[in-house]
Amino acid sequence: MGTMRLALPWGAKIPLQPGEQEVRLGRPEFTQCSASPATDLSAMAMDDAALAAGCQSGNVQAFERLYRLHASRMKSVARNLLGNAVEAEDAVQDTFLKIQRSIASFRGQSSFATWTFRILINTCYDARRSRMRKREVAHEEPDDAPTRPEPRAASAHPTLRIALERALSQLTRHQRDVFLLYEVEGFRHSEIASILEISEAASKNTLFQAKKNLRQMLQAPRSSAAEAR
Amino acid sequence: MNISCNDRERIFLDGTPEEWAALESHSMNCAGCAEELRTWKNLFSAASELHQEWDSPSLWPRIEAALEQQTSAAKDSRWQRLFGSWNLGLPQWQTAAAALLLIALTTSAAWFLRNPKTPPVEQNQTLLNDRAVNDVERAEAAYEQAIDKLDAQARPQLQNSSEPLIANYREKLLVLDSAIADLKSQASMNPANGHVRRELLAMYREKQDTLEQVLEAKQ
Repeated sequence: MGTMRLALPWGAKIPLQPGEQEVRLGRPEFTQCSASPATDLSAMAMDDAALAAGCQSGNVQAFERLYRLHASRMKSVARNLLGNAVEAEDAVQDTFLKIQRSIASFRGQSSFATWTFRILINTCYDARRSRMRKREVAHEEPDDAPTRPEPRAASAHPTLRIALERALSQLTRHQRDVFLLYEVEGFRHSEIASILEISEAASKNTLFQAKKNLRQMLQAPRSSAAEAR
Repeated sequence: MNISCNDRERIFLDGTPEEWAALESHSMNCAGCAEELRTWKNLFSAASELHQEWDSPSLWPRIEAALEQQTSAAKDSRWQRLFGSWNLGLPQWQTAAAALLLIALTTSAAWFLRNPKTPPVEQNQTLLNDRAVNDVERAEAAYEQAIDKLDAQARPQLQNSSEPLIANYREKLLVLDSAIADLKSQASMNPANGHVRRELLAMYREKQDTLEQVLEAKQ
């Protein structure tokens, strides 16, 4: 993978939220995820089977409950993979339709929630491929990266966030998925392993590789920085 | 907890909260680790901002409508699979119905031809009932007596003649008498066996013919 060096005010101190350091730097399994306040998957383990059964019986209310529980995080995941809110919402809708179509094949080997997110991520990559094909047909320059991210809410350090978005698009698919699910959406490694159908060890290693690559890409080249001085 | 610079990567990968705290303490006296730690913190901080939440009041109604549409489409497609793909107009339906009727009639006719409605057989035809056995036995006895009379007429000729033809008749009658004796033995064991009775009748008839031929030869 090629590294993309971005000149950033990397040395600038960014004030962390109280407790955020523990969330991001420690082991999230031991901490509460701030990114998903009301949708901790393990807390809904009991509800999971009932929800799956409701959806299997075709109960629309069960689908609505699934939406209420996970739509917020589903939209965020989709937005980070697709780059804009409109396509993210379309992907969420497609995901629900796919769930309805294939709910009969759900055997409960994973949790219903992780199965849902697995479908969502596959749907997002299908959408990305579809977008690339349309661009090729339109003779536009193919681009594996998400479309230009639309403006987000006010950020404490917007430059770094934009650079991170660009750097994420340079990661491998697995590294990007694991980083987004763990660091951005607050999933546990066990949940990521189930969503991406990999082992927990693979999830941890992939996350570490993703962080190393991101650090390399985002770190200002020392030589150029020295020249600038 | 003692932490060295060599532990830094491992802690970044899979460190416990205590190890992270120890790394923080270590970085206060280590410029290299302090810079690395600051880099990681900045990365995590920027990553946390990638999570975005926004209101989508129209999204669930849209999904609900799409789910219901998909459900009804699935139901329709079941019927479509059965009938819809035919896509027939009224005349074509009439033709199809006529074809179905023709197939039904042909199948029925074929079935009736293969399975003709025959009256149930009361008894096995190869077996005679008691009344028939009595009738047959009476007829046989009368027939045997008649043949014995014929035999008595032909016997002198058979015994006295040295002609080859008569010798042949004599041998033939010996064979017939032997066969008649066997069949009578079988008939006595199984009186209702119509097949044995018919064989016996054939033997008697043959003996009758042979005796008549002997008598004709005498004349």
